[in-house]
Amino acid sequence: MKRIFFVAISLAATTLFYTLTVNAADRTIIQNKGSDTLVNVAQAWAEAYRDVDANVAVAVSGGGSGTGIAAMINGTVDIANASRKMKSKEVKMAKGKGQNPIEHVVGYDALAVFIHNNNPANSLSYEQLKSIFGRGGKATKWSDIGLSVPGCKSDEIVVVSRQNNAGTYAYFKKAVLGKKGKFRQGTLDMHGSKDVVDLVEKTPCAIGYSGLAYATDHIKMVCIADQTGGECVNPSVETASDRSYPIARPLFMYTNGEPRGAIKTYLDWVKSDTGQCILLKKGYAPNRDVSCG
Amino acid sequence: MFAESPLNVRNKRIENLFRILFLMMTILLIIPVVVILATLIAKGGSIISIDFLFTDPTNGMTAGGIFPALLGTVWIVAVALLASVPLGVAAAIYLNEYAGDNWFTRIIQLAIINLAGVPSIVHALFGVGAFVIFFGFGTSILAAGLTLAIMTLPVVIVSTRESLRAVPQAFREACWNMGATRWQTIRRVVLPNAVSGILTGVILEVSRTAGETAPIMFTGAAFFLPFLPQSVFDQTMALSLHLFVVATQVPGVPENLPFGVALVLIAMVLLMNSISIAFRMYLRGKKKW
Repeated sequence: MKRIFFVAISLAATTLFYTLTVNAADRTIIQNKGSDTLVNVAQAWAEAYRDVDANVAVAVSGGGSGTGIAAMINGTVDIANASRKMKSKEVKMAKGKGQNPIEHVVGYDALAVFIHNNNPANSLSYEQLKSIFGRGGKATKWSDIGLSVPGCKSDEIVVVSRQNNAGTYAYFKKAVLGKKGKFRQGTLDMHGSKDVVDLVEKTPCAIGYSGLAYATDHIKMVCIADQTGGECVNPSVETASDRSYPIARPLFMYTNGEPRGAIKTYLDWVKSDTGQCILLKKGYAPNRDVSCG
Repeated sequence: MFAESPLNVRNKRIENLFRILFLMMTILLIIPVVVILATLIAKGGSIISIDFLFTDPTNGMTAGGIFPALLGTVWIVAVALLASVPLGVAAAIYLNEYAGDNWFTRIIQLAIINLAGVPSIVHALFGVGAFVIFFGFGTSILAAGLTLAIMTLPVVIVSTRESLRAVPQAFREACWNMGATRWQTIRRVVLPNAVSGILTGVILEVSRTAGETAPIMFTGAAFFLPFLPQSVFDQTMALSLHLFVVATQVPGVPENLPFGVALVLIAMVLLMNSISIAFRMYLRGKKKW
């Protein structure tokens, strides 16, 4: 019995020693972290890039734009994904730590406002969104904006938002509630775009927002109007690309300094037609006109 | 013979009542286990195949298999075991066989109890600070495994101590009287008799290590990796995090995929547990007392 133990332990030790000393030196790893909005595209890029250059591996993690930007400031990533711009305070912090974040626009994302399929609303204006999402807003019941939602007995609007380090949270706040605006209290803050969509899909009283790419057939997207009763624009890849849809934002990748070597090659590929077509297929708008087969 | 007095009858009735009550409670305990397993098999069983286990995820992780995550979990568990078992067993041997009952030992015990009570997310942050940044391992299997090792160390120490304590003191005394040293006694008498109990601790550790998500999320596990880990300094995918990702982060995942991942995770833990339990029973069968 003792012998078996010795064999097992020495085997394990040899394996460990082997893995510690033999390093896969010829493989370059690019650390890519951040935005949950971008994480699925980043994953698709990483998956496809395996066939482009087998010696370069892109390791993708999510966590939110804030997570990516923090990692960029601490210098622990090669490429940080963000669905919002870095604040000047953050850039300053990064520079203080010897990093020099350079911004790359890798695509655009339309933020759709989602409601339950039973909800009769087709279009909502900025004003109405503000009164639903904003602090001090008048609309706390669906009847306040003249709607009655089948299946929503309490009539109360369940406002679904995101955790406050999400780029989606920051962008929606700025775009809809204004620079000084705040979300109302008592919102349900979800930890991912998909969680928002899943919740709204099951809750007739709910309204929430997420990237267009998370839309499903089981949920309704609201057409956004400038004024109540005015003409509205539906969120779509096209309206995000031609900037007619008002709540669309650029998606960023940040590198430390001008990208070089494998990172440059990868970013160039991301911005190339091939990379942008992958982004388009995931439901985001490319950063320029591309033709995909 | 005695006739049953009313008091006897009443006592018997109450006795029965409590017996049935406690039996019901015990059955109640089994229900969640059965329901969880049944749900997983019903909803995720259809996706399980050799291909599912041994191929890479494809199509934005909505199709294909889970091999990188499966392998990653094995790596992390292995590193955690390699680090915590020797350390934990050695500490337990010291505490049980060498240490006297003084303030120093009591402080160590207090520290172990407290370590066991630290929430896993705090261990995760400790792991980031200590292994990822301070020791410079980066986000890697090594950092994740060591974080988990520290988290599970109390389990190993406590269960090892218990099994060492279960070895009758008379065995040691007999051995000492033959002129054996303390170390000879431990190696030849105490450890062989305690090994089944030590294994229990290891089983518990494996189960906990394989399932933890928070401590590895920050220290070594990635959302997606296009390669298999080749050394302990690589990042890796892991089953537990993969389950979280396909269940909450990726749109358009077929319903049976997350359930399938959960089923594999549970099956893996159960498999490792049953191997250890079988081994343990074999060892216990050899016990001469």
